Amino acid sequence: MIRFLARRIITLLVALVAISIVIFLLLRVLPGDLALVMAGVNAPASRVEALRTQLGLDEPLGMQYLHWLGSLLHGDLGASQLTGRPVASLVATRAAITFPLIGLGLLVALVVGIPLGCAAVLARSRRVRAVFQTIAVIGGAVPALWAGLVLIVLFAKGSGLLPLFPSQGFPLNAWHNPGAAFMSLILPALTVGLIVGASIMRYTRSALAEQMQSDVIAMAMACGYTRTQAVLHVGLRLALPQLVSVIGLTFAEMITGVMVIENLFALPGIGTGLINDVGHRDLLAVQGELFMLAAFFLVIGLLVDVTHRVLDPRLKG
Amino acid sequence: MQLSRSSQPGSGRSRAVWRVVLATMWAHGTGRFALVVMALWTAIALVSLFWTPVPLGLTDGFNVWAAPSLTHIMGTDGTGADMFSWLIAGMGTDLFIVIVTVALTAALGLLVESLMVSRSVALSQGSIVTVDALISIPTMLIALMLAAPLGATVIGVILACGIGYGLNLARVARPAALLAARSAYVESARANGASAVRVFFTHIVPNCMPVMIVQLSLSAGTALLAEAGLTYLGIGVPSGTPSLGRSIATSVSLITVHPTTVIWPGLTATILVVALNLLGDNLRDAIDPLRNPALRQLGHAVQSSDAAPEREA
Amino acid sequence: MTDSNGAHEPHGATGHEAPTSTNNPNATTNGTSNMPGATGSLDPTLQAASTAATRNKPPVWAIILAVLAVLAVIIGSIAAIRTLTSSNDTPAGHKESNVTIGVKLAPTNLDIRNTAGSALDQVLIDNVYEGLLDRGADNGVQPGIAQSWDVSDDGKTYTFELADGMTFSNGDTLDSQDVVWSLNEAIKQGYHGSEFLSAVDTVTASDSSTVIITLKEPDADLLWNLTGRAGLIYDEEAEGSYDPKTQALGSGPFTVEQFTADDSITLKRNDEYWGKNKAKTEQITIKYFTDNNAAVNALKSGDVALLAPIMPNVMQTFADDPEHYDVQPGDDTDKYTLAMNNGDGHATNDKRVRQAIRYAIDHDELIAARGGVDLPLYGPIPELDPGYEDLSALYPHDVAKAKQLLAEAGYNEQHPLKLTLTYPNIYGSEIGDMLRSQLAQAGIDLDVQEVEFSTWLEQVYTNKQYDLSLVDHNESHDIGSWANPDYYFNYNNKQVQQLINDARTAPTEQESEAKLKQAARIISEDAAADWLFNYRVTTAMAKGVEGFPVNMNQSFMPLVDFTYTKQ
Repeated sequence: MIRFLARRIITLLVALVAISIVIFLLLRVLPGDLALVMAGVNAPASRVEALRTQLGLDEPLGMQYLHWLGSLLHGDLGASQLTGRPVASLVATRAAITFPLIGLGLLVALVVGIPLGCAAVLARSRRVRAVFQTIAVIGGAVPALWAGLVLIVLFAKGSGLLPLFPSQGFPLNAWHNPGAAFMSLILPALTVGLIVGASIMRYTRSALAEQMQSDVIAMAMACGYTRTQAVLHVGLRLALPQLVSVIGLTFAEMITGVMVIENLFALPGIGTGLINDVGHRDLLAVQGELFMLAAFFLVIGLLVDVTHRVLDPRLKG
Repeated sequence: MQLSRSSQPGSGRSRAVWRVVLATMWAHGTGRFALVVMALWTAIALVSLFWTPVPLGLTDGFNVWAAPSLTHIMGTDGTGADMFSWLIAGMGTDLFIVIVTVALTAALGLLVESLMVSRSVALSQGSIVTVDALISIPTMLIALMLAAPLGATVIGVILACGIGYGLNLARVARPAALLAARSAYVESARANGASAVRVFFTHIVPNCMPVMIVQLSLSAGTALLAEAGLTYLGIGVPSGTPSLGRSIATSVSLITVHPTTVIWPGLTATILVVALNLLGDNLRDAIDPLRNPALRQLGHAVQSSDAAPEREA
Repeated sequence: MTDSNGAHEPHGATGHEAPTSTNNPNATTNGTSNMPGATGSLDPTLQAASTAATRNKPPVWAIILAVLAVLAVIIGSIAAIRTLTSSNDTPAGHKESNVTIGVKLAPTNLDIRNTAGSALDQVLIDNVYEGLLDRGADNGVQPGIAQSWDVSDDGKTYTFELADGMTFSNGDTLDSQDVVWSLNEAIKQGYHGSEFLSAVDTVTASDSSTVIITLKEPDADLLWNLTGRAGLIYDEEAEGSYDPKTQALGSGPFTVEQFTADDSITLKRNDEYWGKNKAKTEQITIKYFTDNNAAVNALKSGDVALLAPIMPNVMQTFADDPEHYDVQPGDDTDKYTLAMNNGDGHATNDKRVRQAIRYAIDHDELIAARGGVDLPLYGPIPELDPGYEDLSALYPHDVAKAKQLLAEAGYNEQHPLKLTLTYPNIYGSEIGDMLRSQLAQAGIDLDVQEVEFSTWLEQVYTNKQYDLSLVDHNESHDIGSWANPDYYFNYNNKQVQQLINDARTAPTEQESEAKLKQAARIISEDAAADWLFNYRVTTAMAKGVEGFPVNMNQSFMPLVDFTYTKQ
């Protein structure tokens, strides 16, 4: 176990360094730079040059990268050159919107997906099982953008049929007013949840179905469980490791996956913030944010693998 | 299951196989739905290349954001163009995107797969680690990186989707490929002097076929959904080209104006993605002799490698 | 998810894959009540007891989920009740002390000295920072920090008498020292807007309330330019004690209470304001909406008191409700300029091509598509600026003439004119699509490329790699860009340059205007560019809004008289 961990952590670190180089280079390919954006239209070339020197943009690329790598090793993710705000603070504010959104969405997805997945397996008539199968397929085929649109048209205050929830935007003072903040997250979380729920339903269903084909369920029933109990108590528990890894990976993927929904509902989350910063060519901020994201993904992947190994002693190597 | 090519005497056989496969798919309710939708989609796409109810390039600034009417079944957008025509033409663009993405995904996936199952430990371990690291990069970001310097392009969407899904395909198909690669059958083939390439294509790939088919159809569906999201964000299909994403994105502006029009573009996309997914499922079932009695009756010789498990997907 | 990597199936480290659809051969076998119960005994009473027990006990996970669901419902309803019952304590009929307004373009930071962008002028000038001179609602020059001024006969010496008893918001005195320092720093450091001070020779203070500016040559635009960024006065004593990127220290009727980049800024009344005209509202929050629907919903639900601008396609809902809302277009100096690369090596270098493009464009259609609010514009000077003349007779919509000119220039159906229109994606795709359609009627094949603004800055503005480009030049008094042969227009007309220079150094306003008119006419005749329209910003206000500037409010938005009374 230790060896496995050590190996994975070393791989992680190497990957991080490689990713930092990739991020750095990719961003330098973008046309236009921060000096141009700050100087804007109608600025004499001399001002653009002066700004470039001020921002450190005229240093050779290698030097710029080393500066950044150096600060990374110190744990300093950098700061926005436009506002001076540290990247960690920027990401934290945006994460305060994205993470609750994902969390709520996952909650909805689990509440919807797991029971439906179980029901899909437990249903006795083939017709009913087919209906569940259809639900799962359709749920996974719906474009998130459209799902959000439909929810807005149905339930949004100000434009919906049934004005229940605020449709777009996040309240000014964010979580200082938790009620309003929570309300603004409901429709987007529902959108996310319904779509991810279809995925979760599929996983649950196929994981349980696999159990059904194996001897485990028969064993359980031989021990006196009813079919339903066998599936739910024994089968679901065995399927848990897979489910956990799926949830973990889904969470990580959703950080940028919810960008469309954040955009539609005008929530200033991580994805939207990233696009804005790229648009401003605030490269130091973007670098830091991308690096944080990459590190987050990789760490989650590591945790998922570790949990997998811990939860499922059958897995080795 | 292996449909080993070395046992097929000729193209007549494969045509018969395909006929049986299609018939099997048609027999199933979902398979029929998928086939019908795909046929309709292709037909509409081809037609839209030559004709749309209202010419695509026609704008009419005096008739913007119009309500649905006889001449404009779904109303007009911000330039006075007919939303229905753009939706139909968009289906054509998306068909193109889906086909090319699937091809790219398959090609890249197989390429990486070949690295992952190679005998050289450096190559296989190295590729596994690289893929694991690269997979964490979301499609969205790849598309953003491609779109920022070059502007939104169809190629950018295809590349972003193809790369992500190709890597994923390689990863998902790895167990099946490994099983085949380490099998006694392959060992003997190599002992007989078969080249690595030949071994790969005649033994390993067919073993991954079922997984690949499902993954490719899922990737096709996801590519379509991704296109919608990317175009909405401005980093997908460029503005002058019709696409389903563009139609959905335009309908965002209609929420407060004509809410009912919002339904159609998204509904179309959903139906197409459902069809793609069902196509993959049914195709996989129909090609598998274990599940398709009709194929077995064709007398198709099935040679399974010694180590192939009975229930491989 | 829309952009899932295709990670559809569970596949952790093991690469274990599960199929999407399974036919379940074992599903038909099911546990029936004939099976021995949990006790494994065949005794019916024991079985009944145990199966009853096991049957009645709900599984653990269901309990947990149920609890979570109930919690969610409870939290949700509490939140709902709280938001529904939270109301403003201000009774109807009283002016709100805390108002939020909705604007579109957000400033990236508050550094008005170094960062470009009219969003900064909009929120900071005249609210937080004040200039030597003030801009009136008619786009003219008014007293500001300088109460009165005198211009020498040769036009090279300006003497400004400053007002008395001025202070910055932190209590520091504002006198000629600060004025001199601010203007000299602007020139020395090259602040944004300092190029308008290029004619300045010296800035000195003769006493604590008199400032003298001497020029190298007369500059008729100087006074007006001092109403903008060039004339802003900063606190010399406080220099270095605040971070100009996120904080502002000025002498105006407001201070910056809070600033969140790309999101919102809150202005608080400066109770120590030196001027007579104190802010009428205690706190104004400006919220930036990039999403049109979010903006519309905010106004509908009362979260904001007004929207400036409101987009044409969503305007109608408010225009149809005159009882609760007021929708007013304002006059602006925004010129949607279709730049045509006049430089060598481009097809647009040929005057006939440029003329053909101007004839082919149907300006009325473009304006109608945007809601019919904008004004047609046929020259580089808009109505609000000096030197305006109606030049619509020069290039009316005439597709036949366009085709004829193109034929003369050597283009026909076999060899059509192919051009690329490159413009920033903030303007939306509609304009590009309509232009493509209109030019197609004249036989021009237009390829439309929307790019990021930063990409546009590099590719078009700096490197001048473009055929056609579209940008909203919203600055007032910017005719000078046509006299600059290095500007991205690549327009080099010596006569125009001479005229504009003469206008700048002309001794009287009338002479200056006459020269400007002449220059504008030549530029338009040359078809150096096309001006698609003069964008007029529409403001949608809830009833009860008063004192909000409707004209030019994208680059100049004084909020000192703004009040909102809830109806």
